[in-house]
Amino acid sequence: MNTRLAILSTLLRYPDEVLRADLPDVLSSIATAGFADRDRRALERLARRLAAGDPLDRQEDFVRLFDRGRATSLHLFEHVHGDTRNRGPAMVELVAIYDANGFAMTGHELPDYLPLVLEFCAVAPAETAANLLSQAGPLLQQIHAKLLSRGLPSSRGYAAVLAAVLSEVRLAPTTLPTDAQDQADEDDLAAIDAAYEDQPVVFGPESDPDQQGARAKVAAMIQRLRSVRQAAARH
Amino acid sequence: MSHFLDRLTYFKKYAGTFSNGYGEVTTESRAWEDAYRSRWAHDKIVRSTHGANCTGSCSWKIYVKGGIVTWETQQTDYPRTRPGLPNHEPRGCSRGASYSWYLYSANRIKYPMMRKRLVKLWRAAKAQYVDPVAAWKSIQDDPDKRREYQSARGLGGFVRVTWEEAEELVAAANVHTAKQHGPDRIIGFSPIPAMSMVSYAAGSRYLSLIGGVCMSFYDWYCDLPPSSPQTWGEQTDVPESADWYNAGFIMMWGSNVPQTRTPDAHFMAEARYRGTKVVTVTPDYSEASKFADLWLHPKQGTDAALALAMGHVILSEWHAKGRGDYFLDYCRRYSDMPMLVMLTEKDGRLVPDRQLRASDLVGNAGEANNPDWKTIAIDDATGNPYVPTGSIGFRWGEQGKWNLEGRDAKTLEAVTPRLSLQGGQTAAVTFPYFGDGATAFFNPTQLGDTVTHDVPVQWVRLADGSSAKVATVYDLFLANYGVARDGGTNYDAMAPYTPAWAEAVCGVPRQQIVTVAREFADNAEKTKGKSMVILGAALNHWYHSDMNYRGIINLLVMCGCIGQSGGGWAHYVGQEKLRPQSGWIPVAFATDWARPPRQQNSTSFWYAHTDQWRYETVQVKDILSPTAPKQLTGTLIDFNIRAERMGWLPSAPQLARNPLTIAAEAEAAGVPVPQYVAQSLKAGTLEMSCEDPDHPTNWPRNLFVWRSNLLGSSGKGHEYFLKHLLGTQHGVQGKDLGEQGAAKPEEAAWHDEAPKGKLDLLVTLDFRMSTTCMYSDIVLPTATWYEKHDLNTSDMHPFIHPLSAAVDPAWESRTDWAIFRGIAKRFSALCNGHLGKEKDTVLTPLMHDSPAELGQTHHVREWKKGEVEPIPGKTMPAVTVVERDYPNTHARFTSLGPLMDKLGNNGKGMAWKTGHEVEFLRHLNGEVEVPGVEGKLAKMESDIDACETLMHLAPETNGHVAVKAWEALGTFTGRDHTHLALPKEHEAIRFRDVQAQPRKIISSPIWSGLESEEVCYNAGYTNVHELIPWRTLTGRQQLYQDHPWMLAFGEALCLYRPPVDLRATGPMHGVKPNGNKEIALNFITPHQKWGIHSVYTDNLLMLTLSRGGPIVWLSEVDAADAGIEDNDWIEAFNTNGALCARAVVSQRVPKGMVMMYHAQEKIVNVPGSEITHARGGIHNSVTRCTIKPTHMIGGYAQLAYGFNYYGTIGTNRDEFVLVRKMANVEWLDGPRVTPQAADLKAAE
Repeated sequence: MNTRLAILSTLLRYPDEVLRADLPDVLSSIATAGFADRDRRALERLARRLAAGDPLDRQEDFVRLFDRGRATSLHLFEHVHGDTRNRGPAMVELVAIYDANGFAMTGHELPDYLPLVLEFCAVAPAETAANLLSQAGPLLQQIHAKLLSRGLPSSRGYAAVLAAVLSEVRLAPTTLPTDAQDQADEDDLAAIDAAYEDQPVVFGPESDPDQQGARAKVAAMIQRLRSVRQAAARH
Repeated sequence: MSHFLDRLTYFKKYAGTFSNGYGEVTTESRAWEDAYRSRWAHDKIVRSTHGANCTGSCSWKIYVKGGIVTWETQQTDYPRTRPGLPNHEPRGCSRGASYSWYLYSANRIKYPMMRKRLVKLWRAAKAQYVDPVAAWKSIQDDPDKRREYQSARGLGGFVRVTWEEAEELVAAANVHTAKQHGPDRIIGFSPIPAMSMVSYAAGSRYLSLIGGVCMSFYDWYCDLPPSSPQTWGEQTDVPESADWYNAGFIMMWGSNVPQTRTPDAHFMAEARYRGTKVVTVTPDYSEASKFADLWLHPKQGTDAALALAMGHVILSEWHAKGRGDYFLDYCRRYSDMPMLVMLTEKDGRLVPDRQLRASDLVGNAGEANNPDWKTIAIDDATGNPYVPTGSIGFRWGEQGKWNLEGRDAKTLEAVTPRLSLQGGQTAAVTFPYFGDGATAFFNPTQLGDTVTHDVPVQWVRLADGSSAKVATVYDLFLANYGVARDGGTNYDAMAPYTPAWAEAVCGVPRQQIVTVAREFADNAEKTKGKSMVILGAALNHWYHSDMNYRGIINLLVMCGCIGQSGGGWAHYVGQEKLRPQSGWIPVAFATDWARPPRQQNSTSFWYAHTDQWRYETVQVKDILSPTAPKQLTGTLIDFNIRAERMGWLPSAPQLARNPLTIAAEAEAAGVPVPQYVAQSLKAGTLEMSCEDPDHPTNWPRNLFVWRSNLLGSSGKGHEYFLKHLLGTQHGVQGKDLGEQGAAKPEEAAWHDEAPKGKLDLLVTLDFRMSTTCMYSDIVLPTATWYEKHDLNTSDMHPFIHPLSAAVDPAWESRTDWAIFRGIAKRFSALCNGHLGKEKDTVLTPLMHDSPAELGQTHHVREWKKGEVEPIPGKTMPAVTVVERDYPNTHARFTSLGPLMDKLGNNGKGMAWKTGHEVEFLRHLNGEVEVPGVEGKLAKMESDIDACETLMHLAPETNGHVAVKAWEALGTFTGRDHTHLALPKEHEAIRFRDVQAQPRKIISSPIWSGLESEEVCYNAGYTNVHELIPWRTLTGRQQLYQDHPWMLAFGEALCLYRPPVDLRATGPMHGVKPNGNKEIALNFITPHQKWGIHSVYTDNLLMLTLSRGGPIVWLSEVDAADAGIEDNDWIEAFNTNGALCARAVVSQRVPKGMVMMYHAQEKIVNVPGSEITHARGGIHNSVTRCTIKPTHMIGGYAQLAYGFNYYGTIGTNRDEFVLVRKMANVEWLDGPRVTPQAADLKAAE
């Protein structure tokens, strides 16, 4: 099994509670899966981001990027066949490859859905996987570039997954995030972590939640988020 | 020797080459061909079609391989037509052929979605309250929480949720709303049931079971021509497209057949090969014009002028000269032309009043039953007045005389009515004339506001001993057209409605008018009525569309074309005939469980609840007739409120109190509920909701939208929806009446602060992320048209067609049937502790096709003003108590209720028993027990069960029922009509039958045409050939409209009314300049080639063939004037809002007009507006609907309410916009900026 591809498939799953529960394991396996350094750092950042903050915010990010519109769709044939009648036959051919390798699709995803393709490639013979991914290379490059151009920490996070897939078949992304962007994402993440960090329990008059606790906490959280975002924007 | 051994008998040898060497025989391997064979191989082919808004009902083959839809092709196995008539194939168009992508498109909605802010609030509330209903209540009781998610509508932020969570929230909201505010605050909108009738029925069945309100679409879409119910008492009935082939002369008038009726257009081409002459009437050089032998191009909105002038010619050259026995005979038998009209003095002038009735004559002219509703003609032989059979008074309360046999009701002798009273006295009669009131753009004349003509008259003695001056409709009709009865017609006179006058008004040369009129009538005379007019949206979307339509109807009636194969009135807009209607109604409106359902006319509802009335610019005095009684005052919404109070139009919500509480109050008072409601209304202790639409008590709270893009393609006044109904970012620019300091309504309560965000919850079911979905709180993914079982019928052909599940619904989508069934289940469970068996007080207007249509005779009397007592079902809405069993909603949803057995079924006034059919369905679908009901019921669990149920209950698909229905009609007419269905008595069409091949429906009295081997379907055919009356006052084609409001607004007879002035551009001129020139142009929204019908405008193939985003068509002259070049970004705006689009500069478009194709999506390639600083709108961003009082009339024969039958219509073509080139095209990719901030920035 190709652990790296299995990890990448997992990171592209919808960030629901199930995925969140898996993230600690995902994070630790990223470290040992043998990713290139840059990929590893970016993937860890994504995994931490997915584990941080309000899950609904992460889900909103996902829906905005992948459940709406075509530009960064995770359905590969959206980018080759688009809305034409070639799409159906192409999917039929893909299913035939899964069948031939002894894997039957479950659930209700389409055969060209990238997380599904990656899971197949993780368990398929290396040569089959490499063939499939190499063929998809230009599409992956295209999606990667579009994710980067969205200019959001979340889209850069997911772009890292595409970059790592490309590394698997020795292809390079057409563009890369700048160091400044990486740093900004790191800061953003820290801000989210900090915002959601539990305040220490305080006793005495200070503990009155209406006076000092909740409101102050929220105000501080907002302040911190703002300052970090502003700093990031200045880069 | 015969050489027989050398000769081969059973073989021939391959030759090396053939066909002069062009062909060659080889023995090479052909294995390479297998690649192609497997490329096109498939596991199965499934028959389906395209469901929500295409009238095509085209048969398609859906190819499936490995559980994936691979492509579709046109199916070609329709049943053959008869010899001499072309076949139906090929059907299907480029839109349908590019549909399959929707299944797998990135635009597909794959999961239930909810806006994040609502999810957060909901989950937090759920954590606090165990009971989901209490959780929803806690959110609604907190204005800040409500605002929080309302103000984010349309601004993204969706997350996936599970079906369970979505269903729970929706059900909790419904339970809370029914309990707190009343079930009539739960509203559902879905259009065009014919195209996927079970999917429609899913939502309407759920809503009807819980007492929610189903909204009409046909009137709101402005596809309903009110002239049809006015003239024929029928919503709309039209010939099938095959009947075009039988025509001798066709006018295509404002209907773009090749573009919008693509699969039918071949009949037009074939008709031309047969020699049919085609004249096209369209202001722009549309695609239809290529079919034309002659293209007429009147100025848009002035079509009535052309029609009237054609009528002037035909009446002058045929009728006034006594030429054309066929015409005269037809008019005598089938129109109200021989009926007498009283003439009364008004301000010293003699004006036409109402039609004379039996009750006006001594001793009620011998008629004891309904003498108010029986009209009078003169016996041509004796010269005496008599009561002809067939008027609406004979329809109710007696049997056997409601027919067109042309008898004297007293003697039952056949009598010839006198058409014209010419030869005796004449009198000068005054008619209103509106042509001078046009705005400068629409060629005003200077002829005065009335015209006076000499009309032959006679005196009739009345019951009170006085005498009345009367004239026939025929003589008034000819006079109104300005026809000289002495033959001295002058076509060049500048007087209404001569060809010269029409030339000045509409721009069509008078010689062309004369020629076309002559050819039209000449053909009709020679062929006995085979002249046809195909007409459509272009005529019908005007405020005074009635005049365009009635002008054309008059031509067809005066030439005897209605009800004749190859002739007649072919209106093809949006009604898309639901053929098995009477079998479908019990399924769709749950009349198997409770009657009556709540149904609402949408236009009045949206006008009130999106607060478009607060911005009304049209005043009643603008449109009143100079001959009107002076006492009609108020604003347009006041007229609607009066109509609702008098039971003319329905109301939703109905009463300013929860209708579940009223029965208990009545019981406590010891009074029957109807009486209690009447008393309370009179005393003022109870009010109708319509009187205060902005009060929170009367807000609609929950809205379901399914099979529809209500806010995108159909929301006239889009920006008002956003501002007031949804409470989110909007582009309204104008000031309301309060801010303007203008006169306020008399009847509607005024709140200075208008509500923002009336709706608690907006739920949309769709398979694509439409504009409506973007604004919804919850979006539920539905099955596409290749993923569900359903039925589909069309007015364009006589077949019933299936939608079939070629594959399972993709991702987590479900069929509409399954979705509403699921919501019903959750709703039933959540009722515990909130709703049980409840008594729901339901208000119903005076319904057409019921005895209530004889509710209010020729006086308008209001109980509110003490002019009459409030009597439910007579002077006010009917009041019925309906028992709801809320916890058993799901059990009722999934079974066929006991009322079908107990009460039978009915349609259009006829009733019949259904015991046998219900028994059969118990065997076919299986049986189920429902708590509280004795015995077993037929199951209706699946969508196929629902299809079988509706088909087995409908006369059109079950021969036994057809015979019963014809028998029922026979009791009214006294004639035997069963011969029309007996040959098919034992035919019953089942779902699997239509999957095997589309099936022709069985002739039924629900419709006015026949399905037979002899004749094509054509509307009015059975009226003319079976002598069944039209469902109008006179029982004839009603060309004279004598209701007091019709007289007041001057529309007793058809006349010319120019477009109204909506005053929407003046206040915006130069207010927000961008340095470019602004020009005012008339805004027209026709149907397009690259979207709608079978696909929508987000279809990439269609976008690629077009310009890939919103476009507006401009004339070269206007473009040059405003400095606009082709493909420039332009903005169109007025007080209603603004929209951005690219300009298409084309010679096709006449000066003064811009065209923006209907239903382009706001979500595709739309930049930010320089006016609103929000995303640049949609075609309806610059429209606002304006309602017309004559469409509110009720309780008056054919002018009585029916769902999707009569009511106000959503007109939008009188609108003007300012058009200018955009200076900056902003894509709004950055963070959101408030409009105020952006205005400030722009000002800097």
